[in-house]
Amino acid sequence: MDGSDGSQLFEDTSGAGLGSQTVYRNQQAGPQAAGIPGQSLLSDPMSNLAMAYGSSLASQGREMVDKNLDRFIPISKLKYYFAVDTVYVGKKLGLLVFPYMHENWEVSYQQDTPVAPRFDVNAPDLYIPAMGFITYILVAGLALGTQNRFSPELLGVQASSAFVWLIMEVLAVLLSLYLVTVNTDLTTIDLLAFSGYKYVGMIVGVVAGLLFGKPAYYLSLLWCCAAIFVFMIRTMRLKLLSEAAAEGRLVRGTRNQLRMYLTMSIAAAQPIFMYWLTYHLIR
Amino acid sequence: MGDFQQFEQDFYQTRYYTDDQGQAVAYYDIYDSTSPDYNDDGEQAFMPEALDPSTEPQYTGQFYQPAMSPGAVGSTGTDSPEEEPPLLEELGISFDHIWQKTLTVLNPFKPADGSIMNETDVTGPIVFCFTLGVSLMMAGKAHFGYIYGISATACIGMYILLGLMSTVTVSYGCVASVLGYCLLPIVALSAFAVFYSLQGILGTLLALLVICWSSFSASKIFISTHAMEGQQLLVAYPCALLYGIFVLLAVF
Repeated sequence: MDGSDGSQLFEDTSGAGLGSQTVYRNQQAGPQAAGIPGQSLLSDPMSNLAMAYGSSLASQGREMVDKNLDRFIPISKLKYYFAVDTVYVGKKLGLLVFPYMHENWEVSYQQDTPVAPRFDVNAPDLYIPAMGFITYILVAGLALGTQNRFSPELLGVQASSAFVWLIMEVLAVLLSLYLVTVNTDLTTIDLLAFSGYKYVGMIVGVVAGLLFGKPAYYLSLLWCCAAIFVFMIRTMRLKLLSEAAAEGRLVRGTRNQLRMYLTMSIAAAQPIFMYWLTYHLIR
Repeated sequence: MGDFQQFEQDFYQTRYYTDDQGQAVAYYDIYDSTSPDYNDDGEQAFMPEALDPSTEPQYTGQFYQPAMSPGAVGSTGTDSPEEEPPLLEELGISFDHIWQKTLTVLNPFKPADGSIMNETDVTGPIVFCFTLGVSLMMAGKAHFGYIYGISATACIGMYILLGLMSTVTVSYGCVASVLGYCLLPIVALSAFAVFYSLQGILGTLLALLVICWSSFSASKIFISTHAMEGQQLLVAYPCALLYGIFVLLAVF
C-alpha cells in the first residue's frame, strides 16, 4: 500500500492503524510501526514471529489430535450411528417395547454398506442407548431421592457401575463370538448399541415403580424383559446364524447348535441385567 | 487538543475511520506538493471538500495524525474518541443481537432465524447463570458450584452429541451460548420459587411447562443453525434432561 515511501516525514502507521486486531496484518506493518508506543507489543518482529509460530503449532497440535482421535474412535463411523431422526426413534422405541408384530428384521444394505438408521428401522443406532443410559442415571437419582438415600456421589457410583456392567457384557459377548468363531459382520459398536437397548426397558420399569408402586414395577419389568428377549433373539438370529437356520429350518450340526446357544444366552443376559441394575432402586 | 479535534472534524466530515484517515494522511503527504490539482479532481472519496492549500497548518495536522491512529487500536485512548469504533463493537457485543436472541428464546413458536448465532457470545449466558444462582440463593439454596459444574458438563456433552448428529461442524461457543440463553425461563421459575413454593401439583406442572419451553426453544435454535431436519425432538430431549436437573435444583 504505502509502506515503502521514502519521502515520508513521519512513521507510516496506516498498515498498523487499520484497526486490525489480527496478527497477520500487523505483521506487514510491523517494522514500520515500531515507533508508536502502543503498538510495541504487536509490532515487534520477534513477537510477531513468535505469535505466528505459536498459532501454527496450535493448528498442528489440533491436526495431530484429530488424526489420533480418529484412530482410536472412528468419528465417521460413530456419526453413522447418530444419523437418526424422530420417526426412527419413535418406531424403534415401539419395537423395543412391543416387538411381536414386526415382520421383517433384515437390515437393508446399499452397495455393501448398511443404510443409515434414518432410513431403516432395523439398523442399530447409538442415540437411544446413549440417551437411555443418561436417563437411567437421572431416574436412578430420582428414585434414590424419593427414598431419601440421595447424594451426588451415589449418582456417580450408579453411573460408573452401570457403565462397567455394560463394558463387561460387551467384552463377554465379543469373547464368546471369538470362541465360537462366528463369521459375522457385527462390529463392537453394534454390540454396544444392542446392549444399550435394555436401558429403555429398565427406565420404563423404574418409572412405573415410582409412579404406581412395587407391583407395577414388577409387571412392567416382566413385560419389558420378555420384549427385549424377543427383540434380541430376532435381531441376533439374522446376524449370527447361518441363513438356513435363521429362516427357522432345523439344521443339524454342532456349529449351528453352538450359535443357537450363543444367541439364546446373549438374549437371556439382558433380562438378568435389567433386574440386577434396577431392583435396588425400588424398595 | 480540543481545537485540534475541531480542526480535523472540519476536514473529514463523512468518515472517522482510522484507515481512511491514515490513508488520507499518506496520500496528502505524497501528493501535496507535487500535484495540487489532485485534490480538485475529487478522486479521493474520503476527502469530500477540497483541502485548503495552506500547507503549514495541514502539515501540522498530518504530523499528529499517525500518533492518533494507534489510539483507535486502543493504545492510549485519550486522544480522539471519535476515531475509535464504539467499544462495544470492538468487544463484539451487540445489544441488538442479544435482544433478538432473547426474544427468540421467549417465544418458542416463532421460527428461528439461522443467522443470529453467527457471532456467539457467552456474556449473556454467564449473566443468566449468575442470576440463576442468585435467585436460588435468595430462596435459601446456595448451589453455585453445582450450577457451574452441571452447565459445563452438559455443554461438553451437548457439543459432542450435536457434533455427531449434525452434518455441519458445531462450535463449542455456539452450544454454550444457546444453552445459556435458553436458561432464561428457568431463571424466571426460580425467581418465582422465591415467593411461592413449587412443591405440589401446581408447582410440578409449572416446572414441567418451563422445562418444555426451554428445551423447545433451545432445540429450535440448534436445528435452525445447524440445518438438522427431523431431529428437533431428538435434540430437545437432552436439553430437557439438562433443564430438568436445573429445575430439580430450584424445586428441591
